[in-house]
Amino acid sequence: MSLNIDNVGKKYEIRSSKASINALNGVSLNLEVGKTLGIVGESGCGKSTLARLIVGLETPTSGNISWSQGPIGNKAAGKWRSHHSNIQLVFQDPYSSLNPRQKIGQCITEVIKTHKLRAAGDIQKRVDELLLEVGIAPDLQHRYPHQLSGGQRQRVSIARALASEPDLLILDEPVSALDVSVRADVMNLLFDLREKFGLTYIFISHDLSMVRHISDVIAVMYLGKVVEYGPWSEVLDNPKHPYTKALIEAMPDHENIGKTKYERALMGEVPDPANMPSGCAFHLRCPIATSNCKVQTPELLKVNEVHTVACTEVEL
Amino acid sequence: MKTQSSDKNWIHYYFKSTSGVVGAVLVLIMIIISICAAFGWTTHDPLTQNPMDALQPPSSTYWFGTDQFGRDVFSRAMDGMRRSMIVSIVAVGIAGFVGVLLGVLGGYLGKWLDGFVVRLSDVIFAFPAILLALAIVNSLGNSWIDTSLAIAIVYTPIFIRVARGPVLTIKELDYVKSVRVLGFSSPRILISHVLPNVLAPILVQIALSMSWAILTESGLSFLGLGTQPPDASLGLMVSEAQPMAAFAWWTLVAPSVFITLVVVGLNLVGDGLRDSLDPARRQS
Amino acid sequence: MSKPLIEVKNLRIETAEDSRTLVNNISFEVFPGEAVGVVGESGSGKTLTALSILGLLPRGVIARSGEINYSDSNLLASSEEHRRSIRGNQISMIYQDPMTALNPVMKLGKQLSEVLEAHDVLKDEAPERVFNAFKEVGIPEPDRALVSYPHEFSGGMRQRVMIAMALIMSPKLLIADEPTTALDVTIQQQILALVSEQRRKSGMSMLWITHDLGVVANLVDRVIVMYAGQIVEVGTVKDIFTNPQHPYTHGLLASLPKSDVKSRERLMAIPGVPPKPWMVENSCAFSPRCGRATVECFTQTPPLKTNEFTSAACFHEIGKNQ
Repeated sequence: MSLNIDNVGKKYEIRSSKASINALNGVSLNLEVGKTLGIVGESGCGKSTLARLIVGLETPTSGNISWSQGPIGNKAAGKWRSHHSNIQLVFQDPYSSLNPRQKIGQCITEVIKTHKLRAAGDIQKRVDELLLEVGIAPDLQHRYPHQLSGGQRQRVSIARALASEPDLLILDEPVSALDVSVRADVMNLLFDLREKFGLTYIFISHDLSMVRHISDVIAVMYLGKVVEYGPWSEVLDNPKHPYTKALIEAMPDHENIGKTKYERALMGEVPDPANMPSGCAFHLRCPIATSNCKVQTPELLKVNEVHTVACTEVEL
Repeated sequence: MKTQSSDKNWIHYYFKSTSGVVGAVLVLIMIIISICAAFGWTTHDPLTQNPMDALQPPSSTYWFGTDQFGRDVFSRAMDGMRRSMIVSIVAVGIAGFVGVLLGVLGGYLGKWLDGFVVRLSDVIFAFPAILLALAIVNSLGNSWIDTSLAIAIVYTPIFIRVARGPVLTIKELDYVKSVRVLGFSSPRILISHVLPNVLAPILVQIALSMSWAILTESGLSFLGLGTQPPDASLGLMVSEAQPMAAFAWWTLVAPSVFITLVVVGLNLVGDGLRDSLDPARRQS
Repeated sequence: MSKPLIEVKNLRIETAEDSRTLVNNISFEVFPGEAVGVVGESGSGKTLTALSILGLLPRGVIARSGEINYSDSNLLASSEEHRRSIRGNQISMIYQDPMTALNPVMKLGKQLSEVLEAHDVLKDEAPERVFNAFKEVGIPEPDRALVSYPHEFSGGMRQRVMIAMALIMSPKLLIADEPTTALDVTIQQQILALVSEQRRKSGMSMLWITHDLGVVANLVDRVIVMYAGQIVEVGTVKDIFTNPQHPYTHGLLASLPKSDVKSRERLMAIPGVPPKPWMVENSCAFSPRCGRATVECFTQTPPLKTNEFTSAACFHEIGKNQ
């Protein structure tokens, strides 16, 4: 069983100006069950778009995504729903991911009822179980979201996602909006759940240190493409792509005080996705770009059996 | 953790505002008056003419004096209030139901339905309210149902807009996306997740629309459409009182005061609701 | 010991109506040429402290007592006119969201020249000074920028404009409230480089507010750690990161993922959530979550105690980090 993302593209048309935005440009990834894929990238890289496609909120313009039971994006109503319950999504913002007018116990009950996952008499027990699983005392289930802290709300979102008994959980910046002293706790919860239920995770974040800590494999994205992919240790300790190197360099490092070399900062900005550069999307900012890079769009090349990089100027 | 204002507390918060309470009291008084009139519990019969008592100033018998036909002004005003209330309730009921339905469906489902809903409300909006109501009543008839219908048509677009706007925002919020991903059907999402969060501005709009509906109905009957003599209507009474205002001020004052009180009351209620239902204005 | 550029003494900030404590009696100094980082989470009071220096507290919040001494006058007791003469001129501030800090309907050149105007710079000097300010902060095509609107620029560029606006009068102190939190990490690095460079050139002091320990580690000289309205620790950046004395600072640093960990271990989490400042004003703010708390921690606010490493408000400092 695995997740197969095959040359997926996503284009958005802007009605008023007839311009189109290529949010995703031929992304191919494979994820084995039980593994965690970390996706890193900055704004415009397409990581959130990819998450929405995997979960079925939108359909790809080209290519396809399939999960063990068949292609996602199948409009046949019955299949649509069951696919949805197999892959779930936890959002970044704990303040908007729960219905403010619904008690948290109700919001979990609703999931169980809609998918008929338990007999009527067993539902309450299951709700209590799920809340305990995420570290929330069951007597809090009569509260409204605004009566809980950010960390608690995030846990409830996780419980709700778990309620549909998913195989794959996509976590889109799950701790970025939480207070720093609370993040470790929620990260530990994700660790524990993964071990206990054999969950497959896709962990999307701009925080490389968190991604490093939880991922088995990492994909680095830039302007809708994967520029580097491999096991976490390979990508982060032996990065090949200039963008990956720049990203690692730019991460605020609390372990090496006063060692940051600001002169090495990556110059320029992410280009407008409606106006993509020719050839390699990164060439305008790249310290090792050649004239070839303006023309040729690099494919993912093998560094070794498990590590690939999309750059023509790199020593393989 | 200290309980913050939730759904259940908005009533409590509403009564903390003096203007909100005043508004509610005014509206309540007018509703009671309308109910009394409906049951015939007026000081006198609104239609009975007593030519001998014509144009009497206010007294203990005739609380607001009599008009040119010797009819009790106060009773007529009460009856007029009843008519205005009924028309306003029915009109806003229809406009609210249809408008919210179209606004929510259009906003949530998008595409051609939304396009149609927006075009429809644009067309109706393009006409000045009174003019449009005039035209419709003219073609439909003068009964209270026709008046209600006319006002309903004119006020549907505002409900479409008030419902559609929040729906457009809410459907992009994470919690709606979450339940879509959880495989909930659209009807379920609309009823449990979208509507409850759109309710607040709709309630406020209902109060405000009712006040405008009463003004519109009065305006229509002032112009001679809608309620016909000898039936009592606030607008009609104002119109009839005009030539006599100089020497029989009470014939003008009574219906005007009633209109003013109910409109002010409804507006205060609308403001009070807006303040108490908007979490941003509450203290935490 | 040189004289501090700005001295905050016993600052107490409360809600105006019901006197709930938001910042509980804090004191600190910033010396000329020094960069101080203020680190804290939501509710720690760091932003309010910064706003109070310039008299910009929001409606419903007031500085109830204390002094903010700058240039021989107490800013809290000064007239609004006096404070206005200092804002943008001697003390400047930059914010997290450049979109709301810049007027969306005014050309950028005009927004900067407004600052000059407000501080009585001659009109004919303005265009050149604005042009140079844009160049200084690395905005490409400064003459185009002069006549552009904020929405035509990206987040990073807008932040540069905001910095240009803040630095155009060569202030002695720059207060920065999470200016890079919403930016991509590579853009953040550019902005931090820019600010460090400007500081080096002008010798101005800086008060940098953030929740990101990584940013602080490579930007400032000293660190002030705030928690629930109290200052819990103060020290040099090296001491704070290598030998934190306060259990909160220590716990925070310990909870961050480390890069040298080869195995996939659970992180060391701090249980609980940060409390509201008014609920812990008569005790150690961190005591409910602290593994070392004893009776006194729940009943008294510990004073700042200085040891060989840092000054920590704790009855049980950590000592040397093994």
